[in-house]
Amino acid sequence: MLVFLDILPLDPDLALMKKQLLAISSLLLSTSVLAADLTVYTYDSFVSEWGPGPKLEKAFETECQCDMEFIAVEDGVSILNRLRIEKANTKADVILGVDDALIEITRSEGLVQSHDVTLTGLKKELNWDDVDFIPFDYGFFAFIYNSQKIMRPPTSLKELIESDASVIYQDPRTSTPGQGLMLWVKRIYGEQSDAAWEKLSQHTVTVTKGWWEAYSMFLKGDADYVLSYNTSPAYHVVTENKSQYKAAEFSEGHVAQIEVAAITKASTRKPLAKTFLMFLISPEAQRIIATNNWMLPVIDGLTLPAVFAELITPKRIGFTPQEVADNRAFWVREWRSAATR
Amino acid sequence: MRVAGWVSFFLTTFITVLAFQGLIGFSEQGPDWALLSDRYFHSILIFSIKQALLSALLSIVLAWPIARALYYLPMLPARRAFLALCLLCFVMPTLVLITGLVSLLGRSGVVSPLLIDVLGVDWNLYGLNGILLAHIYLNMPFAVRVLYQQLKSIPDSSWKLSLQLKFSRWQRLRIVEWQSLRSTALVLFGFIFVLCFNSFAIVLALGGGPKSTTLEVAIYQALKYDFNIPEALMLAWVQLLIAGGLFLMVSRFGRTQWLSVDTARDDWKPIPTGWRLWLMTCSYYVVWGALVLPVLALFAGVTQGDWLRLEWGALIKPTLITLGLGILSASCGMVLAYSMLSPIRQMNLLVQSRRRVMLEWLATHALVAPAMVMSVGLFIFLLPLVDIDRWGIVFVAILNTALIVPFAIQKLKPRLYQFDAQYNALTRSLKLKGRQRWTIEWPFIRPVVLSTYGLVLVLSMGDVAIFSIFGSNDWATLPWLIYGYAGTYRIAEASIASIVLLSLCALILWLFEKVQTSHA
Amino acid sequence: MLNISQLKIAREGKVLCYDLQLDEGKILAIQGVSGVGKSTLLSAIAGFVTPMDGTIEWKSKRLNFLAVEARPVSYLFQDHNLFEHLTVMDNLSLGFSGDAPKDDLIEAANQLKVLDQLEKRPGELSGGQRQRIGLIRALLRPEALILLDEPFAELDPETRHLTVKWVQKTARDQGKTVLMVTHQSEDAEQLADECLILKGAASTL
Repeated sequence: MLVFLDILPLDPDLALMKKQLLAISSLLLSTSVLAADLTVYTYDSFVSEWGPGPKLEKAFETECQCDMEFIAVEDGVSILNRLRIEKANTKADVILGVDDALIEITRSEGLVQSHDVTLTGLKKELNWDDVDFIPFDYGFFAFIYNSQKIMRPPTSLKELIESDASVIYQDPRTSTPGQGLMLWVKRIYGEQSDAAWEKLSQHTVTVTKGWWEAYSMFLKGDADYVLSYNTSPAYHVVTENKSQYKAAEFSEGHVAQIEVAAITKASTRKPLAKTFLMFLISPEAQRIIATNNWMLPVIDGLTLPAVFAELITPKRIGFTPQEVADNRAFWVREWRSAATR
Repeated sequence: MRVAGWVSFFLTTFITVLAFQGLIGFSEQGPDWALLSDRYFHSILIFSIKQALLSALLSIVLAWPIARALYYLPMLPARRAFLALCLLCFVMPTLVLITGLVSLLGRSGVVSPLLIDVLGVDWNLYGLNGILLAHIYLNMPFAVRVLYQQLKSIPDSSWKLSLQLKFSRWQRLRIVEWQSLRSTALVLFGFIFVLCFNSFAIVLALGGGPKSTTLEVAIYQALKYDFNIPEALMLAWVQLLIAGGLFLMVSRFGRTQWLSVDTARDDWKPIPTGWRLWLMTCSYYVVWGALVLPVLALFAGVTQGDWLRLEWGALIKPTLITLGLGILSASCGMVLAYSMLSPIRQMNLLVQSRRRVMLEWLATHALVAPAMVMSVGLFIFLLPLVDIDRWGIVFVAILNTALIVPFAIQKLKPRLYQFDAQYNALTRSLKLKGRQRWTIEWPFIRPVVLSTYGLVLVLSMGDVAIFSIFGSNDWATLPWLIYGYAGTYRIAEASIASIVLLSLCALILWLFEKVQTSHA
Repeated sequence: MLNISQLKIAREGKVLCYDLQLDEGKILAIQGVSGVGKSTLLSAIAGFVTPMDGTIEWKSKRLNFLAVEARPVSYLFQDHNLFEHLTVMDNLSLGFSGDAPKDDLIEAANQLKVLDQLEKRPGELSGGQRQRIGLIRALLRPEALILLDEPFAELDPETRHLTVKWVQKTARDQGKTVLMVTHQSEDAEQLADECLILKGAASTL
């Protein structure tokens, strides 16, 4: 019985870089004895030594002359789950790191309140007008390949699914990229999705629980393609000086993941929480997030490392959070029957 | 003592009840009955049973010839080391094993090209292959130990008699060997089945997707993303019913002394010759190799530079915490197990077998209860009541204690029953009570208590599952550190930390073996 | 006086009945064919078997409902009288409230020719030696009633003679009341004041 549980959920996913930079010494909770002025729930890699958390904390504390504290759980979903359990007793004033697919579920359970921030300066393509959630970074799901091994990558999702190239992806039930692929396939194949999943399962090496297992297996050479983000190549260029890893751009368009923050319903420090959200979309915070969390900034006009300009900029397709909330359970069931066949 | 026993029963059962209450109370819904007619549910149920059956069967079938080789060939080199290695395999942290297996047999593993090119098989570690390999690696060596112990308990008079009666080889096998192994093999089968049926980490890491999912993994998936408590509960009840029912049946019908006592003196037994000797010797060496390879693979991933570069200081604190937590849990677990056995022994003496079996089941129920439900349920229950960010480490210790109790009970029980069978009437007739009785009992059970302590200590030191839910980084343990290294793709560091953990486990087992034999 | 009256014990589908009176300080030999219930009687007196009916009285005090530990009984079982993991001397010293009378024990071991065995484990002793060790402890324990189940079965004739004499003398000197199950009429004649022959008069249940 002890044999069973050794690896548990550390993560889903969110950009590759976060995980690679995640330092074990600051993995989980940072507990301080006195309650801080502002408590923020986030996922663990965000507050790791090389993640954006510590730098953001320092910058914000200087700005507000207050004490803020990050409490980290495994991943975005765990933030929501913990809030669901604690409800009104939560310590959190702000949650940071759930993604757009979870927005409607979080809202419908009455866990957050409106932010009252005037949203100016956000990138137009995000088309953002949510009253409860504020985006702080985003990326497109994409298949990564090694350009030294593969000369002619597929140019559409259909081409990849109908090929016999080996693929690793993540479980839609436990991982956000996995869920992204599910939405991606659904958008493109519609009613024919189950046939597509069956086709894909014939050349799938394995479906992993989370992002890192998939990505590390890919780096070891276990597969031709791995599902990750369009920003993944930037990490290899900036920190490893390796340019062979590329994201394949598909003509049908790509599904995006937008990471968001919100004020909890239980928070009694709304003014300070609001200040923090405004700080999150300031140029200073956005630069820290882009180059430490390795995702795209949500505002225009930042100076970033040159490689960001070389990333693929696909057309964005997908579903609204409401559509995801309504259909997700059904789509997951469809996927799991098709993939077990 | 009896009061302490009932208190212990209350405590361990209470934890389980709280955990289920946590889930049921939170969702305010019962299990999702509709799941029973879902095709996906059928497929995971069938797969759970299939892989557990195969794992248990193969473990025992493969262990049998090795146990015989150990028994019949006392001149085999390094037998003691081999038996120690077997124990180490059984308690090996799964994380370490998975790392080893992947680097041996993964797509880019060392051995994989051999399989693919030389044997021409289309090899894929992920899926049933990997699950079976890992399960067999963990459980087969354990089966070897148990079967070997059982063979050793054949009195040499049986052998002399069988020779005198001019038994054929087949008759010897059937009448002498099989008779002594039969009920042990049955219980062993049930035990390994339950362990594999509830397997989580291995299935998650090597399963390769929804095709190979067990109930335990499905519970995790239901809770993790959807927070679908009714579905998780339904799965949990099914798992409890199947694993628990089987375990109950096995403990009812199998009488055995497994993990057990060496009662016989082996003075005389037939020694095989010719091709039989050769075959036995060969299989012994092959299994030696197979068990050592994944451990050696850990070293392959580490260069000399890595050894020098590693900050050893960073390992000291987690090592001490791992040891401290392990000692705490193991000590509490032993006390609980011994106390719980007190009423059970009483019933054994009074031949109240139905009540005894029920109580034994209750004492070992943590073995069959879905661990995911236990930890998540307790987490949900406690989160509103306790500051888990601060006190989580206490619950790591408590849950680990609860989980090792069944192992301690299973191992202590036969020796205590033996004491009662031989000496209960005598101690009562001599009016030995309290401390005096204990001074008589202690030397008798001491070797078993020590080896059990070593076993449960090492088992609890390997935990990372409970830690991942309740632990905090201020208290990071060695397995948690390995998990973090692996998670950040720092394979060399992960390998080194694994080697440290494994060496520590080996050292502990060796130490306890040593103390135990030196005073025997 | 030991007074057993109308004692009924259920045993494997039969009811065994006992009636017997024995004065203090006397030695009683109990004989009868195998399975007639000799050992069962001793077990009932010692408290390991619960009778269906009847009384067991010692010095006019009922023993029936007393725990094994509370009865004034020292019992030598047919076997399993020694803890295999303790030394012979340790085994001898058990069953005395307070300190064991070391000198008496050693003197008795000397008389019964097992003095050289005291530092060994029981496993290293012969059946006859083990039996003598058990006897020494059974007789020297401070209990008034001594129950012996085939105490001389494994002894050779010479040692047997010696041991029987020692038991007789010790029991007389210390005023013990002894019940002894035996198959040998010879033992009964040499040692016993009275003799009880159990017959298969048990009724079927």
